[in-house]
Amino acid sequence: MNRNKPGNPHSKIPVKPLLIIAAFIFLCLAASAFAGYFGDAYVTGSIADAVSLIPFLSTDSSSHSITGMIFNGLTKFDKNLNIIGDLAERWDVSEDGKEITFYLRKNVRWHDGMPLTTRDIKFTFEAILDPKNACPYVSSYRDIQSVDIIDDYTVKFTYSQPYAPALSKLGIEIVPEHILKGEDLRTSKFKRDPLGCGAYILEKWKSDQYLILNSNHDYFEHRPYIDKYVMRVIPDLAVQFLELATGGIDTMGLTAYQYFYRTASEKFKSKFNTYTYLSRAYAYVGYNLEDPLFSDKRVRKALSYAINKKEIIDGVLLGMGEPCTGPFFKETPYYSKKAEQYKYDKERALELLGEAGWRDSDGDGILDKDGAPFKFKLITNQGNKDREDIATIVQREWQELGVDVEIQIIAWAAFLKEYVDKKNFQAVILGWSLPMDPDCFVVWHSSSAVEGGLNFISFKNEEVDALIEEGRRTFDVYERIRIYNRIHEIIAEEAPYTFLYFPYARVAISNRFKGIEPAPAGIGYNFVDWYVDPGEVRY
Amino acid sequence: MNDMFKEIVKNKQVLFGVVVILFMFIVALFAPVLATHDPLELDLSADVRLQPPSAEHIFGTDDMGRDLFSRMVYGARISLSVGFIAVAIMLVIGVTLGVIAGYYGKWVDTLIMRLVEIMMCFPRFYLILMILAFLGPSIIYVMIVIGLTSWTGLTRLVRAEFLSLREREYAIAAKALGASDMRIAFRHILPNALAPVFVSITLSLGGAILLESGLSFLGLGVQIPTPSWGNIISTGRFYIDSAWWLTVIPGLSILLTVLSFYLVGEGLRVILDPRMKR
Repeated sequence: MNRNKPGNPHSKIPVKPLLIIAAFIFLCLAASAFAGYFGDAYVTGSIADAVSLIPFLSTDSSSHSITGMIFNGLTKFDKNLNIIGDLAERWDVSEDGKEITFYLRKNVRWHDGMPLTTRDIKFTFEAILDPKNACPYVSSYRDIQSVDIIDDYTVKFTYSQPYAPALSKLGIEIVPEHILKGEDLRTSKFKRDPLGCGAYILEKWKSDQYLILNSNHDYFEHRPYIDKYVMRVIPDLAVQFLELATGGIDTMGLTAYQYFYRTASEKFKSKFNTYTYLSRAYAYVGYNLEDPLFSDKRVRKALSYAINKKEIIDGVLLGMGEPCTGPFFKETPYYSKKAEQYKYDKERALELLGEAGWRDSDGDGILDKDGAPFKFKLITNQGNKDREDIATIVQREWQELGVDVEIQIIAWAAFLKEYVDKKNFQAVILGWSLPMDPDCFVVWHSSSAVEGGLNFISFKNEEVDALIEEGRRTFDVYERIRIYNRIHEIIAEEAPYTFLYFPYARVAISNRFKGIEPAPAGIGYNFVDWYVDPGEVRY
Repeated sequence: MNDMFKEIVKNKQVLFGVVVILFMFIVALFAPVLATHDPLELDLSADVRLQPPSAEHIFGTDDMGRDLFSRMVYGARISLSVGFIAVAIMLVIGVTLGVIAGYYGKWVDTLIMRLVEIMMCFPRFYLILMILAFLGPSIIYVMIVIGLTSWTGLTRLVRAEFLSLREREYAIAAKALGASDMRIAFRHILPNALAPVFVSITLSLGGAILLESGLSFLGLGVQIPTPSWGNIISTGRFYIDSAWWLTVIPGLSILLTVLSFYLVGEGLRVILDPRMKR
């Protein structure tokens, strides 16, 4: 077909180049209309099964990864983390910031064909605010005074006071009024059998084994190219890797060791692409401030100085992490560069402990005060090897100070219910994933320090409380940066946590999936545009 | 007793088992002397972590740069002591209930046997998992829980022996002479019922060690960083295709130890059974 090929008998016929140009133009047009091909399935592995598919009642990441496929919210974040409309086409914010009017897309239908209207919006936010439903996120919506339907596609939110995170918080997923009206959400079968308006529809859920989602051909953006989304429950990362290597799953988050030593082979590279980006999540050691041992700030600071973050990042993540000093994401301006870093300093740690009265007076190698040895339990959850490794290293580092630490690794469900929720612990290793908005009321405000609340270390600081409240009322970005920088600096100074690191996410995905474009938002934001070439379809 | 010793030496399987068990005992007893390194000493430098067996580290190193040989040696202490304490608890409960049930018979027997049947209905491993999930993981709990859940078989064995032995002339004679129930049961009958108890003890030891390894593997037994064979394998599974020594060495140790207890148990059963005597 190459017309420049010598001796090609057709090369002199002038019609041919025109045809080729025409064909090229046609192909270009076709390419813009069909970015991909339909078919195939995307199989993921998950450490834990989903719990409940009512989006605003579930708190675990497995459930959220599924509800995110089935439901949509009013707003969402684009790939550069700007807030854009999802179910809402556009919105107006009133001068005083107290009223937000949303104009909905008119072509959105629930999976049963009913149109999505403002009645569903009103129903969802009333359900979130209904104390009977005990929605765990309710503190982010308490300032909503009313949700008023103007017409089927226009709805007005009125806040009792200006609320800066409103637009991002209003992105929570919307549920159908016509299915759920009059149901008790806490016991509804909807949590196992949901109906949404999103890109995928739940086909089958076998507990602790798998969840299968089918693509929604009438999805308002466009029909997703990948026909099925499957989440398999594989509660062990070593087993997940074996499944990945043998084609049982198409993607997983790799451990640092797997990333460095198991993905280098040509065989692996020929089958998978790997993506790394800094996770919006940090690991920390938290001290129970209600425990007399940790009520002295100098003790907490000393323990922080004794932890070598670099050693932990190298030891646990093989260097794949960034040190963390406070509760905001490092790649945002809310993260203060002036906060106390707690660079490893054993001498300073011993000095602070000495000031607090802890000395090794009986010469047994363990610090003591008033005859009692410095001894406590450090707990973390089972199934997270990174946290177990952190525990091992931190224990050794504190031992060098003369602190006797016992490690206890506890199964997840009991860990949360019996230890963390009830504040029944001394020190804990855990992690937080950070939302897009810096508002940190649920973790750091003193009113969240109740049983079952997320401020389970009981951090209470009046200045921080006031700043958090001010941050919620402030719209000016520069003013908010000042507020959150200050919160960061106070928390770092008070040292209720030893902030450890932000890990890099290390994701391997089968390279038959095309259309993946890593961005600040990660990789999953454009899943409906991913596709598989017809020749490579596996399922 | 001399006869028994000869039988053991004659029986190759039993001899093998006894030698291995004795070896493990010596290792556990002299762990601080035998260990070449501190089993808890971390070394996070890249050229020390996950090193294959060498002259410096004869079993290699684990992912935290700790010496595997030293960890195995200390791990033997944990495994054996868990086995023995758990079996001691089992022995006390199992023999006492078996003696009472078999000696008194009637409604006491019915009551105890129904209790045994109820206990046997529970899948033991899951029962232990559940209890440990509630109590929180700890090696003390593991010993107690294994002991408290494994006595049923022994109770049945002892009771069965007693049912026939209490009708023997010497038992009736003792009764006629006015000996107390306690004296007849424990001084006269029990010594004659000990053969199956010995067998049961050896088999249970193997079972308890295996169970402890399983629980530690699942993170419910010995807590990190204290080494036990089970939690060494648990760490090793992440590196199963690149650092074989972390799973193969503790795996083989568990296999060898448990197998030895079973061989000895089976051998004892044959040796002590009068019907099998030539």
